[in-house]
Amino acid sequence: MIVVIMGCGRTGASVAARLVSDGHHVNVIDTEEAAFRRLPSSFNGRRIVGSGMDQRILEAADLRKADAFMALAQGDNRNVFAAQVAMHIFGVRNAVVRLNDPFRGEIFSRLGLRTFSPTVIGADLAYRALMGPAPVVEHASTLPEQPETAG
Amino acid sequence: MYIVVVGGGTVGYGLTIELLRNSEHEVVLVDNDGSVVRDLRDELGDSVVHGDGTEVVFLESIGLARADLVVAVTGNDSHNLVASQVAKHWFHVPRAIARVNDPLNERLFRLLGVDSTVSAAAAVLAQLEVDLPEHTLVPLMHLRRRGLEVVDLHVQPGSPAAGRAIRDLTLPPQALISLVVGLDGTPQVPTGDTILQVGDELIAVIAEDSESALRHLVAAPLVLEPDPVRGD
Repeated sequence: MIVVIMGCGRTGASVAARLVSDGHHVNVIDTEEAAFRRLPSSFNGRRIVGSGMDQRILEAADLRKADAFMALAQGDNRNVFAAQVAMHIFGVRNAVVRLNDPFRGEIFSRLGLRTFSPTVIGADLAYRALMGPAPVVEHASTLPEQPETAG
Repeated sequence: MYIVVVGGGTVGYGLTIELLRNSEHEVVLVDNDGSVVRDLRDELGDSVVHGDGTEVVFLESIGLARADLVVAVTGNDSHNLVASQVAKHWFHVPRAIARVNDPLNERLFRLLGVDSTVSAAAAVLAQLEVDLPEHTLVPLMHLRRRGLEVVDLHVQPGSPAAGRAIRDLTLPPQALISLVVGLDGTPQVPTGDTILQVGDELIAVIAEDSESALRHLVAAPLVLEPDPVRGD
């Protein structure tokens, strides 16, 4: 599968690494060149500096040939905008969008985008951590020694 | 009408002032920048509200569900598009108008159901074309929901329309010539008998896909073509 990812933060870079190790071809867009340092050395796709809101940049990322687009940048509106450009202008069927605001997530999933909300996921994990079983705490002296830092 | 304006830049500010002149309108201007809101409040008072015009929770607090119209005019196309979509899809606001900053985005806005778009680039371009003596057709306004647009036509010498009565023209379906402005500047509602003269300016309502047919009707013929006025 050919995937274009907008936003090379921690999430974008990890997903890119995982897709590449699965054998997919990935092109990444970010406004900051420095963001590409997060990519693993095995990354063999294109790195494009620019705004994913600009159709010319999406074109440069070969979005026309892509099977999927993932908008994983920070701004909700920028993500949802770029994903809709991908779907409706570039004809990409599979568009994944990160949306912090769960309401926007609901609206745009109804409009055909695959949305997920780090806010909702984070809140859920926090709640489960609070209500779940307490971890078994061993006596401090019996805690395993810190492993040596691997070379 | 209850009108919500999103974006307190020069466009939103000027628009709000104009809208507030008509006391029948209830107008709220929304901006996400606290310092912009403070400045605007000095002049516009309580009509200005600090908040994110794309956020459901905030928009609920200003009663967006009872708005008749949302006008999104920030300098950022993603905010304008999302503000329009949230208004239409979540709050069921009947009408949304959005400013398009990058002309490349115009098509996307239309595809996604924004009722009208306003683009400074398109407006300047249209004005430029109107100022050229050889212009043929300039789109003035899109009536999106009906697939129609309002255009300005300019009858060129030797064109099929020059010197002929409107009833004798082969107009594309749905095309309606609504107004004829003669060289002396007098506007006239035409009838079938109205004879179009070179230099007449026509305001017409046409289907969006019949631009080129209309263009041919008022354009000067190519040099090598036989005189189309006498063709048939």
